[in-house]
Formats: sequence, structure tokens, C-alpha cells
Amino acid sequence: MIRVGHHPNDASRGARTGYHPAEITGTAPGPVTKDDTMNDTMDDTMNADRPIPFRRLLAVEARKLADTRSGKIITVVMVGLVVASVAARGTVAGPKPQTLAATAGIALGTLLPVLAILTMTGEWAHRTALTTFALEPRRHRVLAAKSVPPLVAAVALSLLAMLVAVPVTAVVAQAGGGPADWDIQPLWLLGWTGVNVLMAAQGLALGTLLLNAPAAIVISLSTPVLWAVVGRLGSAGAALAEWLDLNTTAAPLASGGMTWGEGARLATSAVFWIVLPMAAGVVRVLRKEVT
Amino acid sequence: MIEFRNVSKMYGKVRALDDVSFTVGAGSVTGFLGPNGAGKSTALRILVGLARPTSGSATVLGLPYAEMGCPGLRVGTLLDAGARHPGHTGREVLTLGAMTLGLPRTRAGEVLDLVGLTERESRRTIGGYSLGMRQRLGIAHALLGDPEVLVLDEPANGLDPQGIHWMRGLLRHLADSGCAVLLSSHLLHEVEQVADNIVMIGRGRVLAQGTVEELSRGRGLEQTFLELTAHTDRGPGTGTYPGGGMFPGAGTHPGTDAGRGAA
Repeated sequence: MIRVGHHPNDASRGARTGYHPAEITGTAPGPVTKDDTMNDTMDDTMNADRPIPFRRLLAVEARKLADTRSGKIITVVMVGLVVASVAARGTVAGPKPQTLAATAGIALGTLLPVLAILTMTGEWAHRTALTTFALEPRRHRVLAAKSVPPLVAAVALSLLAMLVAVPVTAVVAQAGGGPADWDIQPLWLLGWTGVNVLMAAQGLALGTLLLNAPAAIVISLSTPVLWAVVGRLGSAGAALAEWLDLNTTAAPLASGGMTWGEGARLATSAVFWIVLPMAAGVVRVLRKEVT
Repeated sequence: MIEFRNVSKMYGKVRALDDVSFTVGAGSVTGFLGPNGAGKSTALRILVGLARPTSGSATVLGLPYAEMGCPGLRVGTLLDAGARHPGHTGREVLTLGAMTLGLPRTRAGEVLDLVGLTERESRRTIGGYSLGMRQRLGIAHALLGDPEVLVLDEPANGLDPQGIHWMRGLLRHLADSGCAVLLSSHLLHEVEQVADNIVMIGRGRVLAQGTVEELSRGRGLEQTFLELTAHTDRGPGTGTYPGGGMFPGAGTHPGTDAGRGAA
């Protein structure tokens, strides 16, 4: 239990004789074994003067998404819902892969923002920001690294929905559901994936602004309700909803063709829901005292 | 290796730190001693760039901490052993740290050995750890980068006598091999036994600093501490402290700092 007289140096790097940074450069801290999976980063290890490479921060933040039970659960739930919704729709809607894949958007539109919010707020709930920002004091880099995995997840899950739709379509057509409609518009797939990425980005922005998962999730889940009500409040309310409801303004993206007016409305709502809260949130995190 | 230069910190109108200046040299253990809420944690957070001083500056190895490329390789920090995701295993925390610093993953096992956490314990989630185990994990994390400077906030909190004995030996050993160690504590006796130098702080102000012998003034460190902090912290409690505890006069509880936001 008690292990004194065993300094890390003794075991790994020889005697501690003055610590010139140059000495640290390129010196492996321990015997690098075959199961060492981090060999690719050895070139830039142990240099205290050089900032941590961004890809390393990215690897760490991606790992944090799935290294707890709750992280694993939300991943499994999302993949499960995508597969299940595509397959279930297939039994009713017939062999139309584009329609089937789009069904997954219902689950993704809700869960991607939640995943993004949890990513951005988790470290503040458990106060692990204390450790994270002590290891990387350039907080904007940590925020950037945290933003990437949910956006990648949005793309990956969109593609997964499409991939699942193909065999489901084949099976349904085989089972007598009529001739398969293999018409898949690349522009639609791109636009629809874009919608899901925007939803994730909205979650990132809300999470970064509020740094509080319950508040951000409630806002994220209640905005469709809010806009449904606002849209019914006369012409002013309808106009407001038309320009600011990201769920509505993003829809034309998936239609394959977008008018200039639709583009302007989408840009307006994206600035309102993504750019502004993210900017304010970044400023807040950079200035915030970590306790 | 650590230098506080006229550091002041205001929270609104409250002066949490008032013109704090002191240095910690290589090869020594400095105890940062003060009652709860004296400003110890605030000072350490400022040192590692997690809070900004209102005026003055704090540097590590001649640089503001936040300006180092990869500070974790030169400065080991343990700011709050309780600030962990309860769903992480101990080993996962160390793996994430080793990944961030670009160390081989075998490093997690090395520091686990160093702090006496077993392989089995390291595979359990931190939610089930005792405070003593969390402290050991926190120290393991601080040692990941084989640092020249160690900054530890209340590392003895929650350790059993065995653990405290172990930590004293570890810190002594690190200091003897050239490390600069700054540890905060309100546990007078723990600090007294391991520290070379003491910085006493109360209500944000440095009340005294010097070697343990200097501050003892021939009648013990506790007496000096009580006298110096008597006017700076809360008044004496109305009742007597059962069993004549550590700080009977000051009326403070030798509990945790965590309960006090300003600590």
C-alpha cells in the first residue's frame, strides 16, 4: 500500500538532473510497449513548450462522449432509434428508401441537440472543468474539440439512417410491398444531413451559453411548442416564427432546392439560434472563473 | 519556482485576496495554511489560470501558468479531489489525462502504483470511492506528467492516518528530488510535519511566512497560528469545543473547504 521512495523519474527516465525543456523533448517517459496505442503521438509528446496538438484534444473529448454509462446509453439509444424508426416505417410506407431514412430525422432532431448539450455542459455539472482547463488553459481549444464529435455524430447517424433504409427497402419490396423506388436525390441526402448537423449545432450553442444541461434541454425541447404558439399569434407572430423557427426554416434544405428567400430565413434563424448563443457562450466560458 | 506578486482578488466588494506575495523554491515543501475561507483555494486557482487576479500576478517557473505550452508536463495540480465524474473509473481519469499530455497509456498504471491504488480499485467507478481514495487518485493525476512543481489544495482531507503518513513521505521524497511543492491545508499538524516553509493566510492576507522553526517561535506553530488568525476569522465559538479540537479558539470546524464558496 505504501510506496514511498519510488519516484516516477526513478522508474522511467533516470535521475532528475535539472529540467531543461530541451531535455524533455523527445524523451519517452516510460518503456513504450507494443500495446501502447499512442505511438503516433510520440513525436510531439513531452514537449512542455508546445501546445497540445488539437487532434489529441479531439481524441480525448471524443472519448469522453462514450466512457461513462450514460454516454454509452445515449449512443445506443440513438443508434437503436435510427434503426428502429427506419425499419418500422418500412413496414407501412413501402419500399421508398428516402422516405424511410427521413423518418429517423424525428429522433435525431430531438436527440442530437441533447447529446450536444450534454457534451458542452457535462464538465460544469461534475466540475471536471477544473481538471480539463488546468491541463489546457486555452479554453477555446477545448470548446472547439468538444464541438466536433456531436457534429460528426450528426453526419454519421444521418448516413446510418440511409444505410439502414437500403436493406429495409429491399426486404419490403421482396415481401410484396410493391416495386422499390430507388430514387435517392444526392441533394436531398446532403440537405437532410445538413438539417441534422444544424440541430446538433443548436444544441452545442445552447449548452455553451447556459452551461446547465436541464435548462438547455428544456429550452431545446420546448422550442417547437413555443413556435407553434407564436405562429398562431396573428401576422406578427407568424412572421416571427417564419424567420426564427430553425426547425421550419431548415426544412427547405431537405427539399433539394432552396429559394433565396428560404435561404435568408434559414440564415436569420441560424444566426439567432446558433451563432449568437455560441458567441456569447464562448465569451462566457473564456472569462468564467472555474471553481 | 512559484511566485505570487502582490496578488489581489475582489469579488464585488469582497476582497478575497489582499496583496498576497510569496515564493516557493525548488526542492522544498511550502504549506499554505489558513482557516476555512481564508482565500487559499482562490490563490491556487489564480496560480493555475482558472481565475484571474484583480491585480498583481502569479507565475510558475517564470511564466503565467496559462502561457505554458503544455503546463501539465511541468506543473501537477490537484485542486479538488471531489471534482470528478462519478461514472468514470479511476483508471479512465488517468487515461484521459495521459492522453491529453501525450503520455503512453502505461503511465496510468505507473502512477496508480505510486499512490497505492490497486488494479481492482482503479477499475471501479469513482462514485464508490472514499474521499481518501479520491485524494490518492488526484495525486496520481497530478503526478502523471512527472512535474517539477506540485500544487495541491487540501490533499490531506479525508486521508486516514496511514494515508497521511504515506503522503508526507511522498511529498518529502518529491521535494528532495528537486520538486517545488505548494500544498494548502487547514490541518496545522499535517502541514507542520512535512513543510519546510509556511505561508499563513487569513482573510485574504498573508499574516506570516517563514520556516516552520521561525514561525513556531519556540512555543509551537499552533499558538502562532491561533494568535495570528484570531482577529481575522470568525470570533470564538460560544461553547467549548468537545475534546479540545484543533482550533478551539477560532471556532472553526476542521471540516472541508468545499462548503464555503469563497474558500
